[in-house]
Amino acid sequence: MKNIVIGRYIPGDSFIYRMDPRVKIIALILWFTAVFIIQEFIVMIGALIVVIGLLPLGRISVKRVYLGLRPLMFLLLFTFTFQIFFNRGGDLWIDIPVVYSWLTWSLVLGVVLMWFFTKRYIRFKLAYFLFVLASILIIFSQVTWVEPFATGAFQVYEDGLRLATFILLRLIIIVTLSTVLTITTKPTDLNLGLEAVLKPLKILRVNTEEIAMIISISLRYIPTLLDEANKIILAQASRGVDFQDGKFKDKVIQVISLLVPMFIISFQRSDELANAMEARGFVPGATRTRLNQLLWHQRDSWALTVSVAMVLLSISLRVIL
Amino acid sequence: MGIEFKDVNYHYTAASSQVYQALSNIDLSINEHGEFITLIGETGSGKSTLVQHMNALLTPSEGTVRIFGLDINQETLKKKRFKRNPIRQKVGLVFQFPEYQLFEETVEKDIMFGPRNFGMNEMDAKHKAAEMLKVVGLDESYLQRSPFSLSGGEKKRVSIAGILAMEPNILILDEPTSGLDPQGRDDLLKVFYDIHTRLKKTVIIITHDMNTVYQYANRVIVMQQGECVFDGAPMALFTTENVKKWQLDAPDIIKLAQALEVHFAQKMDVYPANLEALVAWVKEVRS
Repeated sequence: MKNIVIGRYIPGDSFIYRMDPRVKIIALILWFTAVFIIQEFIVMIGALIVVIGLLPLGRISVKRVYLGLRPLMFLLLFTFTFQIFFNRGGDLWIDIPVVYSWLTWSLVLGVVLMWFFTKRYIRFKLAYFLFVLASILIIFSQVTWVEPFATGAFQVYEDGLRLATFILLRLIIIVTLSTVLTITTKPTDLNLGLEAVLKPLKILRVNTEEIAMIISISLRYIPTLLDEANKIILAQASRGVDFQDGKFKDKVIQVISLLVPMFIISFQRSDELANAMEARGFVPGATRTRLNQLLWHQRDSWALTVSVAMVLLSISLRVIL
Repeated sequence: MGIEFKDVNYHYTAASSQVYQALSNIDLSINEHGEFITLIGETGSGKSTLVQHMNALLTPSEGTVRIFGLDINQETLKKKRFKRNPIRQKVGLVFQFPEYQLFEETVEKDIMFGPRNFGMNEMDAKHKAAEMLKVVGLDESYLQRSPFSLSGGEKKRVSIAGILAMEPNILILDEPTSGLDPQGRDDLLKVFYDIHTRLKKTVIIITHDMNTVYQYANRVIVMQQGECVFDGAPMALFTTENVKKWQLDAPDIIKLAQALEVHFAQKMDVYPANLEALVAWVKEVRS
C-alpha cells in the first residue's frame, strides 16, 4: 500500500518544482503534441534523450521515474509484441519455422502455468517473463518429433520491429513526462493549475470550479482512504481473514468483508465533509478568493517558449525529413 | 507461556523517505493466565503498534516476539509457508472503531465470521454467537438485526462479541470504552473483569481512563515515545513523583484522597486501593 508511486508528489526543490502549475500542465500538453507529431525514428530517440535530460535538470531521481514505469511494464511489452506481429513490411529479418502439434501446445500451456504460479517467488520478474517468452518460442520451433496438425512461421519484419520500438519509445516518453509532472507538483497546486487551464470551458457553461473541487477532494482523500483500508485489513486479519490461503469461496467472503466497511466509511466521511463545508459557509458555484495566488515568473515564460519551440521543431523536422 | 517481547524495535519509512521509530527496545513478558493489564500513554506513543505486534499483525524490524511458542521476527517474513492465523485465534484483538470490522447483514452472521474463519462448524458458531452476545450485555433480539442499524455503543459490543466468539486465550482491546456513556463503560469493564476472573484469561486494555487503571488492573504499562517507561502495579504508578514526570491524570479516588489529606491536614503513607480503604482511613483520622 505504501509503495504506490504513480501520481505521488515527492518533496524537492528545483527549476521544475518552482514552475507555475498552469505552465506545467500546458507544457505537458505541448510536449505530448510534439511527441505525436514526430514520425522519424531518429527524432524520437532525440526526444527521449531530451526528456531523460530533464530529470537531472529537475533533480528528480531516475529511480523514482523507473518505479513509476514498472507497473506499466507488462502493458508496454504487450503492445511491443503485438506491434511486431501486425506490421509486415520491409525486409524479413527473422524467420523461424514453427510447428503446432498437441505436444507443443501442451508444453506451452505447462510453461505458462508454471510462470503463473511461480512468478511471485522470482525476484527478477521481467527477466523471468522474457525467459518464458523465449522458451515458448523454442518449444514451438524445436519440438518437431510429433506429427503436427499445422505448421507456420515466426516472422519478424524490419518495419514491425521498427514501429514496435517507435511506439514503445513514445509511450515511455509520455509516461515519464506525466510522472515528472506528478512528482514535482503538489496535488493542491496541480488542482489550481487544472482549474485555470479549464477556465476557457466556462464559455460552454461547464462548471470548472466544481470540477476542480471534486478533483481536489478526491486527491485529498486518497491517502485517508488508503489509511482506512489498511486499518480494515488489520481488523479483519485479526478475525482470521487470510489472503494467502483459503478456498475461492472463502476469498469472495473475505473480499466482501473489506469492501463493505470501506463503502460505509467512505459514505460517512463524505457526509461529515459535506457538513463541515456547509458549516463553514461553502456555497457551490460561488466566486471565491484564494489564499495562495499563482504567480507568473520569468522562468514560466521561458518554459512556455521552450515548449512551443519543441512543437515547432517537431513540425519542421516532419516537413523536412 | 503467553507473549514475550525480546528487545523489539519497530520502524517504518514514510512516503518522504523519513524513518519513524515507533517502538524501541521493548522487553515485555505477558502471562497467558491471570493478568489484567492496562496500557496507557499519549496519542502516538506506540500503544497500538505494540498490541499489533501481539497478534502478529506487525513484524518487528529487530528483535523477536514469541507468541505461544512461535517466534515472529524478520526470519518469519522469509518463510513463505508460515501461518499467522493460529496466533490470531489465540490472541484476540478488538480494534477501537467497530466500523472497521462490521460487514455482515445480521449481527449473528457477523459474530460468526471470526469462529468460522478458524474452522468452527456452523452450529457451534451459532451457539457461540448467541452466548457471546449475552456476555456483552445484548439480548437475543439483536441476533437478526443489521449491525448498521445499531447505536455506537451497541456496535462496539457486537464487535467485541465477534472477537470473544473466537475463544481467544488472551483478549486485547484498543480503547473499548471510548464513546460510551458512563453506565455502558462500567458495564463493559465488568464484562472484561468477569472474563479475567471467571475464565482466568489475560485481558489487555488500552485506555486513557485512569479509573479503569486503578480499579481493575493488576498491572499497568506506560508507553512514551515508543518506549516502555513503566511496567508494574497501578498502586506503584500513582506516586506524586511519577504523576508529575509523565503528566498523568490521577484517578478520582486519589484526587479525593488528596483533597481529604488537605482537609484533615494529615498525610497518607500509601494512597487507598478503593473506596472502602479510603473510608477506613477517614474513620481512623476522625477517631
